[in-house]
Amino acid sequence: MIRYLRLYAHFLRFSFSRAMEFRLEFYFRVVMDVVYYLVNLAFFTVIYRHTTLLGGWDLDQIYIFVCGFLFVDALHMTVFANNLWWLPIFINRGDLDYYLVRPISSLYFLSLRDFAANSFLNLVIAAGLLVWSLARYPEQLGAGRVVLYLAFLLVGAFIYYILRLTFIIPVFWLHSNRGLDEIMWSLGKLAERPHQIYVGWLRIALVTLVPLALTFSYPAHVLFEGLTAERLLHVVTVTILGTAFLLWFWRRGLASYSSASS
Amino acid sequence: MRLDLFGRIVSLESRKLMSYRVDFWLNVLVSFATQLAVAYFLWLAIFDYTGAETLGGFTFEGMVLYYVLAILLGRLVRGQERDLAVAQDIYQGTLTKFLLYPSDYFGFKYAAHLGDLVPGLIQLLLFGAVSLIVLELPPDLGITPATVVMAAVLVAVANLLTFLLRFTIMLIAFWADNVWSLNVMLRFSSELLGGLMLPLSLFPEWARAALAWTPFPYLFYVPVMTLLGEVPPSEWLRAVAVAAVWSAAMAGIALAVWRRGTLSYTGVGI
Repeated sequence: MIRYLRLYAHFLRFSFSRAMEFRLEFYFRVVMDVVYYLVNLAFFTVIYRHTTLLGGWDLDQIYIFVCGFLFVDALHMTVFANNLWWLPIFINRGDLDYYLVRPISSLYFLSLRDFAANSFLNLVIAAGLLVWSLARYPEQLGAGRVVLYLAFLLVGAFIYYILRLTFIIPVFWLHSNRGLDEIMWSLGKLAERPHQIYVGWLRIALVTLVPLALTFSYPAHVLFEGLTAERLLHVVTVTILGTAFLLWFWRRGLASYSSASS
Repeated sequence: MRLDLFGRIVSLESRKLMSYRVDFWLNVLVSFATQLAVAYFLWLAIFDYTGAETLGGFTFEGMVLYYVLAILLGRLVRGQERDLAVAQDIYQGTLTKFLLYPSDYFGFKYAAHLGDLVPGLIQLLLFGAVSLIVLELPPDLGITPATVVMAAVLVAVANLLTFLLRFTIMLIAFWADNVWSLNVMLRFSSELLGGLMLPLSLFPEWARAALAWTPFPYLFYVPVMTLLGEVPPSEWLRAVAVAAVWSAAMAGIALAVWRRGTLSYTGVGI
């Protein structure tokens, strides 16, 4: 475990020094994400000019939901996104060999080796927005619930990572994941609204088959309504099953990998 | 640029896009379905809760139709957003070959951009037809042959304007290490301020008045409203004129940036 943490510290050091080489891009990226945050907040602000509740949530609650999703998005962009972007390229070019011969988990190395230092400031801004949304909430939330909410957001970020990777791993067989990745990106849009607005099979799919509702929406439910045994069991089961599936799928993918220019 | 060469580039680019057909259609179908589903359920929840007959001038059916048209016309306005190719040409030094060709670079890239529209056009016809059959349409639907022609003119100008906005941003690659973020920033802003995420009639009056001076409403909102027969001819003429003026302004800026940029271009790439 210590060895993995020490390795991650090296990843961080390399990533920051690399980001500082492209300073203009660093600032562009900060502004880009700030625009993204403003667009999302403005979207719901305009919506709430015409309604007082959406899926049972008022504007104060929806700000917490949006800021939670922006925080998870920033976390994903900072920790995983660059690595997942490169993964299909490594697989197709046969560059995976370098990572497979290392004496550590290849999934760990390939998922975390590139920390997007130029997104790190955005993570700080997103965290600031989350604090702002929680602070302006008119009712007492309680420290325990807030901690639980943050824990569920982190689990949500992990589930989102599992989903993204699930749509990338087929590149071992298909050699192009562009279509699948864009499908995941499109499906991700469903998670950017409170999941209780969906009905029927779509809602069921969002909490089971493609559990995007567990990434942003469930944590907010836990914050506003408290944690129920049913919800906890649901999230724990999905996380365990998702992790097991990911590890199995990754191993199957590696078994099909035939090195250079596969 | 010669017209036959322009036509060949358009044809080549459209065929390139369709080369992975299963990938392409699967992606197109899921992307359209999810975009529409998000909008449908969002507004279903709002109309159900408020009990309102109309919001921002739209009934629920009208709102769904607005999103169908905004998504489909939006694809014609935006193309496939592959204009990063301009920045790649600069970074990799492949711009050099275009500078040596006996034809202008802008013409090449605009032809490629138009080639990107062919799949969007097929989607518009296919999904548009299916939506008209499947969806419950508003009884006072104002789509007529005249509004189709008026909207087509606006979409053509909006498409040119979108291309020029992105082209100008990409030219910053002459000086900046990476311009991908700027392109994405433009996309986020235009989706909200152009009416792709929400009809602009839902915005406060002061915001709509301010937006009228920007190029954004003419990208998605005004073309869709024109097609729906909600824009009188005088307003339409004004919209075409404003979008054309913005296009001319962006073309002027792009030309100035291009001249400065090519002076500092070394051709070796990064």
